[in-house]
Amino acid sequence: MNPYQSYDAKIIEIRELTSREKLFTLRFTDREVEEGFTFKPGQFVIVDLRGYGEFPISLCSPPTRKPIQLCIRRAGRLTRFIHKFGEGDSVGIRGPYGNGFPLEKMEGANLILVAGGLGMAPLRSVLWYAIDTGKFEKIYLFYGTKSYEDILFRDEIIYLLKHGEKLNCHVKLAYEVETPSCIYLEKGFSEKVCKGVVTDLFRGEEFDVNNSYALICGPPVMYKFVIRELLDRGLSPGRIYMTLERRMKCGIGKCGHCVVGTSVSMKYICKDGPVFTYWDALSTRGLI
Amino acid sequence: MRYVKLSAENFSPFFEALKELGKIYGPVKRNSTYTFVQVDNVKELSLDYTRTILPPKKFFVKPRDKLFRLKKENWEDIKDGESFVLFGVHSCDIHGLKILDKVYLGDPPDPYYKSRRENAFIVGISCMPDEYCFCKSLGTDFAMDGFDLFLHELPDGWLVRVGSVKGHEVVWENQELFEEVTEEDLKHFKEFEEKRAKAFKRSLNKEGLADILDLAFNSQVWKKYAEKCLGCGNCTLVCPTCRCYEVCDNWIRAYEAVRERRYDSCFMPTHGLVAGGHNFRPTRLDRFRHRYYCKSYFDPSAGFNCVGCGRCDEFCPARIEHVRVLEEVREGLL
Ligand SMILES: Cc1cc2nc3c(=O)[nH]c(=O)nc-3n(C[C@H](O)[C@H](O)[C@H](O)COP(=O)(O)OP(=O)(O)OC[C@H]3O[C@@H](n4cnc5c(N)ncnc54)[C@H](O)[C@@H]3O)c2cc1C
Ligand code: SF4
Ligand code: SF4
Ligand code: FES
Repeated sequence: MNPYQSYDAKIIEIRELTSREKLFTLRFTDREVEEGFTFKPGQFVIVDLRGYGEFPISLCSPPTRKPIQLCIRRAGRLTRFIHKFGEGDSVGIRGPYGNGFPLEKMEGANLILVAGGLGMAPLRSVLWYAIDTGKFEKIYLFYGTKSYEDILFRDEIIYLLKHGEKLNCHVKLAYEVETPSCIYLEKGFSEKVCKGVVTDLFRGEEFDVNNSYALICGPPVMYKFVIRELLDRGLSPGRIYMTLERRMKCGIGKCGHCVVGTSVSMKYICKDGPVFTYWDALSTRGLI
Repeated sequence: MRYVKLSAENFSPFFEALKELGKIYGPVKRNSTYTFVQVDNVKELSLDYTRTILPPKKFFVKPRDKLFRLKKENWEDIKDGESFVLFGVHSCDIHGLKILDKVYLGDPPDPYYKSRRENAFIVGISCMPDEYCFCKSLGTDFAMDGFDLFLHELPDGWLVRVGSVKGHEVVWENQELFEEVTEEDLKHFKEFEEKRAKAFKRSLNKEGLADILDLAFNSQVWKKYAEKCLGCGNCTLVCPTCRCYEVCDNWIRAYEAVRERRYDSCFMPTHGLVAGGHNFRPTRLDRFRHRYYCKSYFDPSAGFNCVGCGRCDEFCPARIEHVRVLEEVREGLL
């Protein structure tokens, strides 16, 4: 089997999430492939626009639900192109790749999900996996977004703001740009929504650092601030997980694009990651 | 290991016999440099060559490599399954291939590389170092495996080490060309190796190198050389262990496209660039340092990612010397 060969998948639904992001629901054409496709939250696939190129995208649906979903931001040449695709069109998919979050290890503990912007996409997979399986103590979601219009999965987030506690899920939202919709949301959930950055959401929150794991995904600048906040609270570096991004071509440790580090520790983001702990960041230069 | 002797007069028949295995590629002189090209006659070979510009990796990871052909919306694999012989490969380049093997044959194996490796018959050849070689200090000056046959020069022929089953088969089927190795031959072999060991002019101090480099992340030496460096990427193209590639899809007809990969270099500003304009290695300094880190990465099971072939020095238009940079970084720290 050629590991670069993608499987044909049909786009069965497209939802516009924001002006830049669309949610693609996909089903593999081959029934065996569709049934056999399993993954872990935090893993990604490579989308193959045959004849145009390939790009990596996190799986944003949980493994507990089928079919798979990808949330794709219009960011460059290929992502702009796929935004023109319609329901019924097909693409190639290969993967899943990467290590994913070691969620088995976290069962019974609190999960603190910290998402910034598009970082919500891979963490949504964790979020619904955790809710669906009920194997975790309590789920916190701290989500920082630019504006109301940029909130990904807005309906789900509002639903969880309202009913989350019933599902053991505590959701909070920080926005940066004030608009009437935000103010309206803030009025409705005064304790859970505020103007600010994602670290502001930690204020007033208590969690047992010996029984919690933090899972972070966001733009490169976010990591340092969030990690400092978590370390200050006494969370061990080994309990801080983050998922990282790099330019990628192969997804399987061959093309060399995603390699980071120095002479003593080099890591492939695609193969050794994209999920790393803060211990990894301390021993591998350039990881964050 | 099995050792046999190939006498000088049997060299040509031996070369002819190898044609059974497929096309033969060997080192040939082109102006003032050497290159591996198809060879039909032993007379074309330059067996005393120093180094080729492109290492033999070009037969396994091709500068441009077609992977798939798109026909009616489906990708078809493009296979090239022909057997071939690489004749006259130096020990450092054999080590270079072993380093590539770690990457390309590691799980999941790259099918293109794998089939070419399986289809290749590799004949190593002994060599004398020039002013650029420093393989001895990296332990890559002698190959214990990674070849089918290895020819060591003797005054009256070659001492042949048999390194694989395929190598055994060739010797077996051409028994009339080979003789037993004599005490005399062994003496000459030993003399050659001793003479060679003394001929190295350059050496790399690898003692604690990986750690020292890591500690010297902010060294001014990186900066000094990054300013000198032209960012041309020559050093990565000619390196037998560099193997970064870029992938492109190209339409060749209205309904037919090919997916092709080609050499990329971490010296190119686009190497770490992602959509939205963020670059994980934005400056020449970041990229220059990264290459040295990558080459000096130490894997306990495989050693460094540099085999000391000296290509990057010989073909650097800015005359930057690999060993010199590393030594200066070391001195700057200690
Ligand atoms: C592990 C991982 C998970 C990701 N998950 C998502 C996700 O869930 N949703 C989403 O919208 N985006 C995600 N991205 C980013 C996404 O891959 C890029 O936005 C996309 O590759 C841009 O391609 P383009 O052709 O539109 O951009 P161009 O700028 O035209 O890029 C050309 C090529 O460069 C490479 N490239 C460019 N940017 C990136 C990048 N950020 N990461 C990796 N390769 C890149 C790709 O091979 C791409 O095809 C993820 C990236 C990684 C590494
Ligand atoms: S870094 Fe230079 S000397 Fe080392 S293997 Fe590559 S080309 Fe040869
Ligand atoms: S060959 Fe020399 S000038 Fe060119 S990128 Fe390498 S070090 Fe820089
Ligand atoms: S994406 Fe090719 S090595 Fe990681």
